[in-house]
Amino acid sequence: MAWRNVWRNPRRTVISLFVVSVGLWSILFFNALLNGWIQSSKDAALKLLTQDGQIHAVGFMDDPNVETLMKPPSGALLQALNTNVIEDWSTRIAVPSVVQSEYKTLPITLMGVDPENERRISTIPGDVDRGRYLESPDDYGVILGKHLVERLKTDLGRRVIIMSQNLDGTMSEWSFDVVGVFDSDQGVEDFYVFTGLAVSQEFLGLDDEIAQIVVTLPDHAELNPSIDTLKAAAPDLDVRSWKELNLFLAMTDDFMGVYIFVWLGIVFSMMAIGIVNTQLMAVFERTQEFGLLRALGMKPRRVLLMVSIESAILIGVGVLVGIVLAVLSIWALQGGIDLTVYARALEMVQAGSIIYVDYHPDGIVQYSLIIWILGILVALWPARRASKCSPQEAMRRDT
Amino acid sequence: MDSIVTCRGVTKTFGTGELAVNALSNVDLDILQGDFATLAGPSGSGKTTLLNMVGALDHPSAGDVTVDGQSLGELKPAQLSDLRLRKIGFVFQSYNLIPVMSACENIEFVLELQGIAKSARRERSLEALRDVGLEGLEHRRPAAMSGGQQQRVAVARALVSRPAIVLADEPTANLDSKSAGELIDLMLNLNAEHGTTFLIGTHDSRVLERSRRQINMRDGEIESDTRH
Repeated sequence: MAWRNVWRNPRRTVISLFVVSVGLWSILFFNALLNGWIQSSKDAALKLLTQDGQIHAVGFMDDPNVETLMKPPSGALLQALNTNVIEDWSTRIAVPSVVQSEYKTLPITLMGVDPENERRISTIPGDVDRGRYLESPDDYGVILGKHLVERLKTDLGRRVIIMSQNLDGTMSEWSFDVVGVFDSDQGVEDFYVFTGLAVSQEFLGLDDEIAQIVVTLPDHAELNPSIDTLKAAAPDLDVRSWKELNLFLAMTDDFMGVYIFVWLGIVFSMMAIGIVNTQLMAVFERTQEFGLLRALGMKPRRVLLMVSIESAILIGVGVLVGIVLAVLSIWALQGGIDLTVYARALEMVQAGSIIYVDYHPDGIVQYSLIIWILGILVALWPARRASKCSPQEAMRRDT
Repeated sequence: MDSIVTCRGVTKTFGTGELAVNALSNVDLDILQGDFATLAGPSGSGKTTLLNMVGALDHPSAGDVTVDGQSLGELKPAQLSDLRLRKIGFVFQSYNLIPVMSACENIEFVLELQGIAKSARRERSLEALRDVGLEGLEHRRPAAMSGGQQQRVAVARALVSRPAIVLADEPTANLDSKSAGELIDLMLNLNAEHGTTFLIGTHDSRVLERSRRQINMRDGEIESDTRH
């Protein structure tokens, strides 16, 4: 009976279904899009150099120099790095330096890296579009960013001079071959130059000291517990998550999480107005019928239940249609939304140039249930009005 | 014979102060088992108000109404609903069938409210349809039936729960002469064969001519009560 009542006024039912399904579609689809955007931003920013977390000697983050370095991981820290809470890790040198070509001298950060590890945890090795990436920690070549190459007016195969203060306080000055040029985020291109880890240590007069340990995690939801594990294993070191290292990205991530609930609230308010309006109209149109049901002996509670079931069915169908629309939209964009033409602009907000919609089935179920239950709750108002219809309405003459 | 309905000093006042209108004034009435009684009188005489009181749809301002031995004034709203469900059948002027249900389902609905099992419901509904001469139309929806047929379904719905009394408010008002005549025949037959008690509010002379007890009302009071 409830199903038939739902279709008693097809136009009104279609309007209600439209309101609910489009509302839910917008929530699910934009949630997937926003998640994709957040993920893209994280991938773009974190997979370059930050990764999920970093460990430094205390003081290095405030004054990164050759005197605030640390020994490679050992003991409890090494054990913690090799547990399953950490997906991968690597060590790096990172010291302020200058790079000089025949035309220009520019400030940079010299990064000494282990190429094999970097290929697993960073996107930069894959961003090398001319020449080659470093081959080993003993590789004496350097990798420069495309924009830095333009600014220095140098090129692949030519030599540049890098200068930095070494451990004994004097300036080291070496000449390096440019073996590769990478095309990535412009900020990274301009300010980072990569060479082999062992080469950088030799260049700075170090033994095996390092500037940082970078880690990636298998489960990003476990960020805080994983970082806490590392902090416990290295109490004398400065262990930070990416949220502490990249405040802008962390703020964006938090904001997006709140934004989806703001959006849910706005959409639901609009849906609630639509649902209450259409259900109230349905109840007013059927006042005499509810009076009849009461006259025939139906208790108010059962009238309330009957109208609520009608609302539950109507909103439920709308929710199902919304889910289907959202899944189809998400499926259609599985290949990603290519925003390469806006790549430089997107870099400014730390987003990737291809946005992949990112959805979680449990999220779809969760938001759909929220909309369904809230919809039924707001529809209780018209249902309550129906249950209060006087049985005398049925006795009232039409003529 | 036992009284199915007893009204004692029933008064109904609408409004207050200077605007107060007495729709019923100190009405005393007994409807007996097997009565086929009509409430007659001009518009505003109090017929519908009295039917509402007897049908437990409204409360009197003063006095008491008893239906099948139960004083309505003592009952709570849920108990009144239950009494309407089990002891009173209603037939309305405008049929008041549920449009999304077939003839059979409209009748079954009352039994469903009573909690009767589906198979028994269907059997009794079909029997009620046969009693009102609508065998074979059980799957028709109200919109596909004539006014006379719809009113017969309404009568079948009123009777299917075997109520103590059937209250009908202007049941022939929307029917043509032929359908009205057939409906009156039907109600008289049911009254004669099953002993069903009817109280019919009407000013249709066709009904009044054939009633066995005519209660005339004027200005909220019973003017005369005549048995034929």
